[in-house]
Amino acid sequence: MAARPSLDFVLKLAWRETRGAGRHFAYLIACITLGVGALVAVGSFASSLERTVGRSARALMGGDVEIRSSQPLSPAGQTVVAEMARGGVEVLPVQEMVAMSAAGGRSQIVELKTVAPGYPLYGELVTEPAAPLGTLVGKGRALVHPSLLQKLGAAVGDRLKIGEADFVISGVIRQEPDRSVGVFSLGPRVMIAPEDLPGTKLVRPGSRVRHRVLFRVPAGTTADAFKDALAARLPDTAARITTYAQAQPGVRRFWDQLTVYLGLTGLVALMVGGIGVATSVRAFVRGKLDTIAVLKCLGAGWRQVLAAYLLQTVLLGLGGSLLGAALGTAAELALVPALSPLLPLPLEASVSLRSVLAGLAMGTGLTLLFALWPLLDIRRVPPALILRRDVEARLPGRRPWLAGIPIAAGLAALAFWQAGSFKVGGFFVGGLAGALFLLGLTARLVIAGAKRLPRLRSLAWRQAVANVHRPGSHAGVVLVSLGLAVMLIVAVALLEQSLRAELADRGPERAPAFFFIDIQSDQAAPFTRLVTDKARHAPELTPVVRSRLATINGASVADDPRQKREEVWYLSREYVLTWGAEPPAHNPVIAGRWWTAEEARAEPLISVEEEIAKNLGVAIGGTLGFDIQGVTVQARVVNLRRVDWQSFNTNFFVIFSQGALDGAPSTWIATARVAPSDEGAVQSAVTAAFPNVTAIPVREVLERIAAVLDQIALAIRLLAGVSIATGLIVTAGALGVSRHQRLYQSVILKTLGATRGVVARVFAIEYALLGVAAGLCGGILAAALAWGVGRWALDIGWAGSPLTVASGVAGATLLALGVGFLGTFRLLGKKPLGVLRGE
Amino acid sequence: MISVRGLGMRLESGGRPVDVLTEVSLEVPARQFVAVAGPSGSGKSTLLGLIAGLDRPTTGRIVVNGVELTGLGEDALARFRRDAIGYVFQSFHLIPTLTALENVAVPLELAADPDALERAQALLKEVGLEERAHHYPVQLSGGEQQRVAVARAVARRPTLLLADEPTGNLDSATGKQIIDLLVALNENLGSTLVLVTHDPALAALADRVITLRDGRIVSDETSNGGAA
Repeated sequence: MAARPSLDFVLKLAWRETRGAGRHFAYLIACITLGVGALVAVGSFASSLERTVGRSARALMGGDVEIRSSQPLSPAGQTVVAEMARGGVEVLPVQEMVAMSAAGGRSQIVELKTVAPGYPLYGELVTEPAAPLGTLVGKGRALVHPSLLQKLGAAVGDRLKIGEADFVISGVIRQEPDRSVGVFSLGPRVMIAPEDLPGTKLVRPGSRVRHRVLFRVPAGTTADAFKDALAARLPDTAARITTYAQAQPGVRRFWDQLTVYLGLTGLVALMVGGIGVATSVRAFVRGKLDTIAVLKCLGAGWRQVLAAYLLQTVLLGLGGSLLGAALGTAAELALVPALSPLLPLPLEASVSLRSVLAGLAMGTGLTLLFALWPLLDIRRVPPALILRRDVEARLPGRRPWLAGIPIAAGLAALAFWQAGSFKVGGFFVGGLAGALFLLGLTARLVIAGAKRLPRLRSLAWRQAVANVHRPGSHAGVVLVSLGLAVMLIVAVALLEQSLRAELADRGPERAPAFFFIDIQSDQAAPFTRLVTDKARHAPELTPVVRSRLATINGASVADDPRQKREEVWYLSREYVLTWGAEPPAHNPVIAGRWWTAEEARAEPLISVEEEIAKNLGVAIGGTLGFDIQGVTVQARVVNLRRVDWQSFNTNFFVIFSQGALDGAPSTWIATARVAPSDEGAVQSAVTAAFPNVTAIPVREVLERIAAVLDQIALAIRLLAGVSIATGLIVTAGALGVSRHQRLYQSVILKTLGATRGVVARVFAIEYALLGVAAGLCGGILAAALAWGVGRWALDIGWAGSPLTVASGVAGATLLALGVGFLGTFRLLGKKPLGVLRGE
Repeated sequence: MISVRGLGMRLESGGRPVDVLTEVSLEVPARQFVAVAGPSGSGKSTLLGLIAGLDRPTTGRIVVNGVELTGLGEDALARFRRDAIGYVFQSFHLIPTLTALENVAVPLELAADPDALERAQALLKEVGLEERAHHYPVQLSGGEQQRVAVARAVARRPTLLLADEPTGNLDSATGKQIIDLLVALNENLGSTLVLVTHDPALAALADRVITLRDGRIVSDETSNGGAA
């Protein structure tokens, strides 16, 4: 006699028990298909987006990886670059410097850039005339930004003197993909070929040249991996190596937030699907109680029966996951081309194998875990059940709570994996566990409350309330699963609102149209008047003093032992200083406090940005000395500030107390908000009145950055929509599973003389009660979850609307009503006799 | 074969405890055909279920084939039923999603019998249903369903055959066929048969008739000169 559970029997039972369970299986597969479909679509969409957004971010820097240094690379460094350039890596050296240009008797500071064939590695250089780069630069030809022509009163074809060399203006630059923008730009762009640079005699010892080497790495290599390899080998410690992602911290930050949000959305879709699985399996087990009891009578052990049903469910889960992967892929392939025309950047559809495989694993694993808990009921089915045919069988004992631990641990592991971050995963798991507990508690309270309600006059109300608290009622299960679903969906919607508000805050409408630089101190007041008059907005002026770091806590930077690349960068970079009596807006002081007027009079004081203070190794009470054109100014650190580098405000690492820099050579910079229609007039007026002031139009560049952000915002909305839609369908199904139990009740009510209207009212009231309770509870929990995730995981402000929570409650109620109605509508027509005789 | 001592069973009904069985003791020797008679609600089915290990008594002990049932865990009870007991129910309790053949094969498959389907087919032939092997329970008449149930009960050649009102849901002619079948199979197997019935005519076929009322044995008569 084989005493061990026979695998053969388990397999056979699993197979045979698929008969007649079509409805259950279809629903179970639908739940998993939708959940996995959303997950795969989200995953594939995310990787498509990542590629597109990544490409724009690459174009903004001009490559995947960049070496940037104030000195030419050492011969050893050049060898390393040459060696790294093999195997499909493209290399493009670029030099940038400030130079004086002159034409027709006028002169202008320009930002000179050498561009070699192959430029740009990413993005597109748009010129007028449109011609190959090789025909526009080289052999004494130069491309210039249109603003230079305006300043010099020159035209294409005119001569332009740069340094000591003469050039012919071959065309204008309409769009330069990797033009970095900021208040510290010094003048319009001019591009020449590298071989023409020596003739200008601009490169001399001591001249400030920015040497950049841009890399484009082949597919299959990540920018980070390439950067790490490069950093490990490059001997030039003064060179800074960055990836495209680091170069655009704003885009990076939104990208990180999007990744977190995407992880969350996928997780929500999947967990909601899991809830569907659990409720469906529970209903399935309830319908199989007789069969399970018979099997036990025939000598089957509970483990065998459990194994058979579990195997069956997991195989269904796998099937559903396969379907879901196909659906998600199809959705991605169909959606992306349809959306592309609407998007600011071309989005390319692609199937992510990783998302598909992850979806399959997730779907199957989740089915296993969510099915296991209700299937454990099999253990409690007494074989004697078939002797006492209770209408509503109540299982003795409790489910083994210990078994819940590995199930919970498995779900937590899946959540962590999908969320892609311990923080978000932790929030999700913690939130889910807390919500489960609270919803369970609420369900008990609602049921207990229904029981204690005084006898109601209306038969329909009485019946509905009785349905909530009668033994074997589904109220608890529906409350918990619907409440959870509402919580997850509303939380996703609330987070989406907060993220979008955050993005809108950075939109181009908040960005200035111009940066003005080199405003002399005596020009500040007339400049302000002129711009205010022309642009109808006052410009914001800030004084700046250019300096280098000389000492830290009294020790000379030249003797500093720090030699690592990042450290040297902090020590050797140019520091643009300013001063002020008040802390700048949006710069919270996080340590120490701002100085008073008396304190500022006593000695030079500085406020330092928190990150750079950390990197320089200076704390409150320490000192920094700055070399300003040969004069060193020592100042004591009195507070640390946090700077939001994504804002379009002018931000400074170091701010001096007012008066401390009096006498230092300073100029003013200004930002001005100008309506697009006024831009030309403002620029002409300023250049006419103040020939030395350079206006840098930034709208074009900012609009490119804003386009990337817009794309992210749109993606967030789309994904929220997808996951909400999935959640609705699955929730509808979860509500529908209890319809089987309704059949008896409706038949018995009708036998006793109730009209179909009364029966329908009973169910409508019951569903509405459950919907309101679950919606309220889920809505409140959603607000708490979204607030926590937004605050601690996404680092964004709260912009969720109470209206969203309210619509969650209303939605849950309507959904419950709708599903209840659809589910019971067909029951209403059933003839009682057949149903009663059949059982 | 069966030894029942001081058996009591108390169940909750409508929130009140009800004694379904009180102080029931009996001994059944091997190969005996026993009928358990009595009005409905007298505890017949509960007694049968307890002998099969389908539930645990509140008091007393049951020994079947030298095995003390009250001392066994749930899984051990399941194995005990699989190996030693055949059970026939009033309402057949075939698994609705399995064909007649598969229903008969379940106990054999549970015991990992490699020839389960062949033997199930032979059993169906024995009960005269070989033509209906691939029909589902809903496609069979009541009598046919019960014959499938009988075939399933005897599939593992149990030493103890328990039948709970096997004719209760059948017309009398069909019921007669089922009883004949059960008795014939029981004789072939050389097993012990305990038949619960409230039909005096059926009870009269047995070697011994035990009558229950309100959970107590009120009479225990051996007839037909059978061994007592």
